[in-house]
Amino acid sequence: MRPTRIFPFAQTALQNLFRKPVTTAYPFAPAQYPERMRGHVEIDIEKCISCGLCARSCPPGALTVDRAARTWTINRFDCVQCGSCVNSCPKKCLRLVPGYTTPDTAKHSETFTRPAPPESDAPAAGGHPVNDPDKCVYCTLCAKKCPQQAITVDRAAKTWALDAEACVGCGLCAASCPKKCLTME
Amino acid sequence: MAKRSIVPFGPQHPVLPEPVHLDLVLEDEVVVGAVPSIGFVHRGLEKLVETKDFKEYVYIAERVCGICSFGHGMGYCQSVEHIMGVEVPRRAAYLRTIWMEMSRIHSHLLWLGLLADAMGFESLFMQSWRLREKILDMFDATTGGRIIFSVNCVGGVLKDMDSGMLARLVDTLNDIERELRPLADTFLQDYTVGTRLVGLGVLKAEDATLAGAVGPMLRASGVAYDARMLGYAAYGDLDFAPVTAEAGDSYARCEVRIREIYQSIGLIRQAVQKIPEGPIAVPVKGNPNGEHFMRIEQPRGEAVYYVKGSGSKFIDRFRLRTPTTSNIPPMLDMLKGCQLADVPLLILTIDPCISCTER
Repeated sequence: MRPTRIFPFAQTALQNLFRKPVTTAYPFAPAQYPERMRGHVEIDIEKCISCGLCARSCPPGALTVDRAARTWTINRFDCVQCGSCVNSCPKKCLRLVPGYTTPDTAKHSETFTRPAPPESDAPAAGGHPVNDPDKCVYCTLCAKKCPQQAITVDRAAKTWALDAEACVGCGLCAASCPKKCLTME
Repeated sequence: MAKRSIVPFGPQHPVLPEPVHLDLVLEDEVVVGAVPSIGFVHRGLEKLVETKDFKEYVYIAERVCGICSFGHGMGYCQSVEHIMGVEVPRRAAYLRTIWMEMSRIHSHLLWLGLLADAMGFESLFMQSWRLREKILDMFDATTGGRIIFSVNCVGGVLKDMDSGMLARLVDTLNDIERELRPLADTFLQDYTVGTRLVGLGVLKAEDATLAGAVGPMLRASGVAYDARMLGYAAYGDLDFAPVTAEAGDSYARCEVRIREIYQSIGLIRQAVQKIPEGPIAVPVKGNPNGEHFMRIEQPRGEAVYYVKGSGSKFIDRFRLRTPTTSNIPPMLDMLKGCQLADVPLLILTIDPCISCTER
């Protein structure tokens, strides 16, 4: 049989009359964010190599990477703070930080431009991969990993070719090579 | 014979912002039949699986629902892991179990608040949601999000909890357990609340089984069935027995959910004691090729996940059957014979999530 009481909530209700409110008086009191909060994406643009992996992995398509113009653009209003770009960045130049960005009445993008390259116009990070044909087994993993499709491997003809124009020097090919026959030079 | 009339109920209705429409057939004020229609918020999330990389789709799977988001991400990941033969590290399985049980506490506290709101007991509603806020803060501290967690990945989880964080979690749960007691007493023992719940919408065990009820709805009718008994993630290592009640009325459904909150707190305590050290994810190579069908126990009941891959990075088919889909037919049985004024409360007792159902 169900036990029945009259006014079991009275004590809680009375206590509430003399308690401080459980809510904070935002915006007069600043909001406290935990350290891990996925608030918004920040970029360390100097480390960025414009490989475009973040834009490819972004589920809502909020990122645009323009290699020629050396820009990284984010539409903060499309971004869902999932952290997919942060996990995919080979140079670890993206991070999710606490705190929200400011609201607005219209969607707009924020663009970051990489600093100008040194005079020689060499690839910004790590140089180009160089293959050691004695060690290479032509497994094609490097070609599959390349975000720019700059590597062509023909398994039958045993050839390995690099499109130096397209290569962004991210080093993903060398990192994925099972035989360690690629070096960034 | 009394005059029959049909009253449209919804899609905007007084229970909660979930767009379900019912055509209620009334004889005077008594409901004799109900014809449901849904389809107001279909988003086509299952179709998106064909155009997204299977690892990225986790972020979409968890956006199927705002309450059971962790479970949807986990169900999808577990299905893909089964297809690819990936063994998830034990620590990741324990972390998934902890987050899953936190989701259950958060969902049940939300439901208790909504129940109080449907009865017009505003201060009880506020108190339930105040407690829920503590769990949401813990989610924020451990995963970085309050509602969408983005911690599941194919092969494990993305974030770890260190011992300090686990101790903080247990402290928070102790607080919740202590503060829930006066609220639980109000739900279960208050005379006025009892008049709104006891004997309302009785569903007998055989009717519930025949109509395909799942989750707390089925367990409140006395059937000890819970998908957690399958032992997925770390449930196999934990001491667990389903919570049941016999009466099958709205009061029993409320009682089962309250006892499940206490049970979830106990399960998290067990998991925190037993969690092993080790990695939290394994690298996943290749693409899924094959199909898998699996069930997990979401806060609202059993959810079914089906994934079929054909060796490319895009999945061929992803199908998700959510608990509310199965709970609608028993809800229609339950509505027959009730008063029109009790319809909102009865709809609420199945804990409906229509946006989940329509995906």
